[in-house]
Amino acid sequence: MIDLSKIDRTIAEKGSTKTALIPILQAIQREYNYLPEDALRRVSETTDINPAEIIGVASFYSQFRLAPVGEHIVRVCVGTACHVKGAGLVYDSLRRAFNLKEGQNTDQERKYTIEKVSCLGCCTLAPVVQIDQVTYGHVTSDKAADIIKDFESIKDKKGKNLFRKGDGTEIQGEIRIGLGSCCVASGSSDIKDAVEQTINQTGLHVKLKSVGCVGMCHQVPLVEIVPTKGEPTLYSKVKPEDIQQIVTSHFQPVGRFSRLKNKFWNAIENIQTDQQWKGIERYELNIREKQVSSFLGKQFPIATEHRGMINPLDIEEYKQHGGFLALKKVFSEFTPEQVIDKIKISGIRGRGGAGFPTGIKWELVARQESAIKYLICNGDEGDPGAFMDRMLLESYPYRVIEGMIIAAFAVNSSEGYFYIRAEYPLAVTRIREALAICRNNNLIGNNILGSGFNFNVQIYEGAGAFVCGEETALIQSIEGNRGFPHLRPPFPAVKGVFGLPTLVNNTETFAQISFIMRDTVDRFTRIGTETSKGTKVFALAGKVARGGLIEVPMGMTIRQIVEEIGGGIANGRQFKAVQIGGPSGGCIPATLQDTPIDYESLTSLGAMMGSGGLIVLDDTDCMVDIARFFLSFTQDESCGKCTFCRVGTKRMLDIMDNLTSGKGQPGDLEKLETLAEWTGKGSLCGLGRTAPNPILSTLKYFREEYEAHLQGICPTGKCPELIKYSINDDCIGCTLCVQRCPVEAIPFLPHQKHVINTDLCIKCDACRQVCPVDAVVVK
Amino acid sequence: MIQIKINGENILVEDGTPLIKAAEAAGFKVPSLCYNDELGHFTSCMLCLVKDGENGRLFPSCSVPATEGMSIITDDQEIREARLTGLELLLSEHVGDCQAPCQVTCPAHMDIPQMNRLIAAGKFKEALRVVKKDIALPSVLGRICPAPCEGACHRGTVDSSVSICLLKRFVGDENDLHPFDALPLNGKKVAIIGAGPAGLAAAFYIQLNGYQTVLYDKELAPGGLLRTNIDPEVLPVAVLDRDISAILSTGVLFIGDTAIDKSLFQQISTQFDAVVIATGAIVDELRDWGFLTHAKGIDAERNSYETSMKGVFAIGNTLRFSRMSVRPIGQGKEVAWSVKQYLSGEEPRGEPRLFNSRFGRLFQDEISEYLKESVLSGKVISNDIISKGYTQEEAMLEAKRCLHCDCRDIENCKLRDLSGKYNANQRRYAGNVRKLMTKHFAHSIVYEPLKCIKCGICVRLTSKYQEKYGFSYIGRGFDVQIGVPFNETLEAGLAETAEKVAQACPTGALTVKD
Repeated sequence: MIDLSKIDRTIAEKGSTKTALIPILQAIQREYNYLPEDALRRVSETTDINPAEIIGVASFYSQFRLAPVGEHIVRVCVGTACHVKGAGLVYDSLRRAFNLKEGQNTDQERKYTIEKVSCLGCCTLAPVVQIDQVTYGHVTSDKAADIIKDFESIKDKKGKNLFRKGDGTEIQGEIRIGLGSCCVASGSSDIKDAVEQTINQTGLHVKLKSVGCVGMCHQVPLVEIVPTKGEPTLYSKVKPEDIQQIVTSHFQPVGRFSRLKNKFWNAIENIQTDQQWKGIERYELNIREKQVSSFLGKQFPIATEHRGMINPLDIEEYKQHGGFLALKKVFSEFTPEQVIDKIKISGIRGRGGAGFPTGIKWELVARQESAIKYLICNGDEGDPGAFMDRMLLESYPYRVIEGMIIAAFAVNSSEGYFYIRAEYPLAVTRIREALAICRNNNLIGNNILGSGFNFNVQIYEGAGAFVCGEETALIQSIEGNRGFPHLRPPFPAVKGVFGLPTLVNNTETFAQISFIMRDTVDRFTRIGTETSKGTKVFALAGKVARGGLIEVPMGMTIRQIVEEIGGGIANGRQFKAVQIGGPSGGCIPATLQDTPIDYESLTSLGAMMGSGGLIVLDDTDCMVDIARFFLSFTQDESCGKCTFCRVGTKRMLDIMDNLTSGKGQPGDLEKLETLAEWTGKGSLCGLGRTAPNPILSTLKYFREEYEAHLQGICPTGKCPELIKYSINDDCIGCTLCVQRCPVEAIPFLPHQKHVINTDLCIKCDACRQVCPVDAVVVK
Repeated sequence: MIQIKINGENILVEDGTPLIKAAEAAGFKVPSLCYNDELGHFTSCMLCLVKDGENGRLFPSCSVPATEGMSIITDDQEIREARLTGLELLLSEHVGDCQAPCQVTCPAHMDIPQMNRLIAAGKFKEALRVVKKDIALPSVLGRICPAPCEGACHRGTVDSSVSICLLKRFVGDENDLHPFDALPLNGKKVAIIGAGPAGLAAAFYIQLNGYQTVLYDKELAPGGLLRTNIDPEVLPVAVLDRDISAILSTGVLFIGDTAIDKSLFQQISTQFDAVVIATGAIVDELRDWGFLTHAKGIDAERNSYETSMKGVFAIGNTLRFSRMSVRPIGQGKEVAWSVKQYLSGEEPRGEPRLFNSRFGRLFQDEISEYLKESVLSGKVISNDIISKGYTQEEAMLEAKRCLHCDCRDIENCKLRDLSGKYNANQRRYAGNVRKLMTKHFAHSIVYEPLKCIKCGICVRLTSKYQEKYGFSYIGRGFDVQIGVPFNETLEAGLAETAEKVAQACPTGALTVKD
């Protein structure tokens, strides 16, 4: 039995109308890890919300579970970057490790429940597995047992010790630690602890500073040492045990006693651990080095201005770097009409994907006569393989808020929402804190900065539905409904939240507003192309040498991004294609890599800007598999309201499943094309209308791969049902593969050439990964 | 009032009228499954797609209000293709039979499940009416038909098929004469050449339509091969005579002992308003009469049976040889449609063929669902059934074994209606996996989830009428289901609105039980 008084308290806190439903369900799930039926019945009995609405909503959003789960949740990221790096194999190997039968997701002891998540936003660490709060990066299918063992060993340990900070009276410098999600996932909080410990023990007077995402996610965790005098040094891929050496090599402890204590402590430490630090050169990454300067140098930060320099929540620092100047300028110099004019002149278009001119949208909302108008910052970033919004919300909360206040002033809205997906807890926390600080600084609330303008903002956490990135579905969700989109018109600008005029803009759009308004508009219009102004933030991931978050001027070519910023293809493989725009986008082949990135060019090639996922593919990637991957994502995320999307995506997926498993039939490609055409033309909202793009673009540029699959051949050896594993003559008989094989498909014959029994082989790839001489062949 | 343009016509409508309604009022019916007059639009089925006259884009007309100056097109090749594709996608996940497989398989398409239900209820006379709608010689066929229907019977997957043929024999033997009144004679005359099973059946149905039918045969007595080629042990002459007399009693004139040759045929065709050739396989002779022929028989249109001569139709073995008498008997019924159409000045099209959803074999796990509407007992069989046929009690018991595979919404299903209109092919986008069917009974209704098209009408109705539990969408996307929240029963979910939702359901997912 559950404690119903807890449910009653939750309802008392959240409210008892339908708009409170999702927050109530989220609170219940936080308590029980799932939604117990008794709790839901209690909600229906004590609120205005009926059972059908409760179940309708609870079963719509993927965040909610209606059945109990194990003690720990294992979440395998199956985002694009993880997918191309073998997340499917990792998922399968974990299922084997937990001994799960088909349809089962929780192990026998009810200890672990395994789930797929569409993106954890740590694409550069792919493949990623999260067990409760612990994130494992670069997981391979043969490491399943290792990470479970590791988790078992640390799970009962209490939170880490916190140490006193340096008091900063005599600042010798600053140590900056990235606290974006990638950095955190890669262990930056351990680094932070190690720095605090070092400062504490050495008595150094240095300031420890947390900064937002630098964007160099391929090098995380990053630590930057900025001495008061001299050049800053950036260290990459730092480990906690490196910290003491790094810190003490830059800063000398103040007093003699401290120095002695430091030396002594150091000696003891070395004896205890018997571990010598391996030298800093390996990790040092100087900003002036070619690699880094090309990664950062070609970029143009607007939304990510002052990246890696400012503490996300330090409002004073934001102000020192020009923060809120634009807002003040707007309040003192402009009328709302003038603001809209400037936005129109700037040419900025919505960064959420479709590229609707922002100024026109604002004007439409401004024109509406209504006592109340709403404004929504759309942070429901659901693309697998995109994490721009997350990074902006985590690292530049004030910039987004400033953009929102300016927009609210321009359209005369007094009520704002941050709609942030629930998979981004850090972003939610940051924004919550940032809003509180803004309220204290008279930046949110009544009579903002004495302007007489009122604007309140609240946070609404999404509950896991990609379709809610579509603005009409998002609004349904805020109103406490299933995220069913509806036909536009009426546009939200006319009839939005609760039937009132509503401005919905993407997070990144808001993050660019202050830059436009702060100075002259032509500072912005000079950047980009004729029709696509300014910059675009991309999550660059996949087979590129240096992945990360990048912000580039519109019009930069794919080649420049891949080669100059991304450092080309990793491991010396061949560049094959880029996937731009996620599930709504398409694949652009390497032959078209001189295409400039702007709205029109991408659309004309069958891709689209989308929200900014940019996944680089190499010659080992199967394009049919990639297309199937994206389609399976949209199919899974289809809300099911309209026929063409609900059934059309499923039937396309059926064909793709057949193709990738050797069951393709003559005529399948033509049928696929017909289905793609009609799903695109007949679907109600953007999700369905763009769902066929990954299929159509790969059919257009890589049709021969489809033809090969029809013949039962996967040219890149990616589709498990079309390939066979074997061992060639390079085999040295080391038995490593034998030991790794989970199904005993390789007989134990030391010093002989090993043989794989293909009848038993489950194609988990473990043998190939472990083979020291690359003797395992996949064909 | 505002002015809009529909298919080029200027039309005045109330500002804000949904375009689907505006078009309907102007005489351009736009199909829809999810629009409901009481609830308004929901934009789910997408069959109401129309085209923007300005930019050529398709959009759902249910959800767009008319505004001044708007121009739309409600029907063209692209729109039809869109609707067809939408229908075929819906059909690809529509698991259920419209007509039962036995009826679909029967060459005469007799309504077997309905016959079974009437027998089971002891309503034998009504059962005969059902049989005779499609089969003119039930007692005969009840003894000689190889019963392809029984091969298709879903009960065969459970234990053994229902003995449909014997039940039909029982119905024929149990009753006297024919149960129909022919329409009053309208003055037109139809000649039928050949009084075998095809000719007899044609004469029966044509006469019923009010045409004076004259049935010619070279033999003295009607019956054709039925009289000459079948062992009287199997088909006693008395049984044959009884079925035939029922046919003749409708007013059909039989002229025996009259072999028709070319000149007589020409004479007949000038004297009569229409002629049906049912002579059996006499290809060479017919060619000589002036018909187009092929190796196996005479050329005739597939559905109307019209030959190369206007107003002359051909059925039975004249078309091609068949061992099954039920085939020519069925054709006799069908040609009556063509004759009537022809004589009413219409293009002969034959019997209207309606769309039939089919799902193939029952899965083992579905047997228990289908048995909910049936009995567990096995086939009723005893040694003398073959010679004597079923007794009343035996027939009722056997008929109860029928699984009610036919859909209850067969007459009112919008999905079926539109699928027929757009000539949809259910298999075009067939999926890889078929979901398992279930049947749920509560109050006076039946709920079959796999016939649901997720239009949401029932969900919205139960909400509007404030059911305590009502229906809810459960899950999302392709796997979304309509169900009662908290695993409450269907009774609880539809406490107040059961009949209302069943009547509003555009398909056979929710139907009134009887």
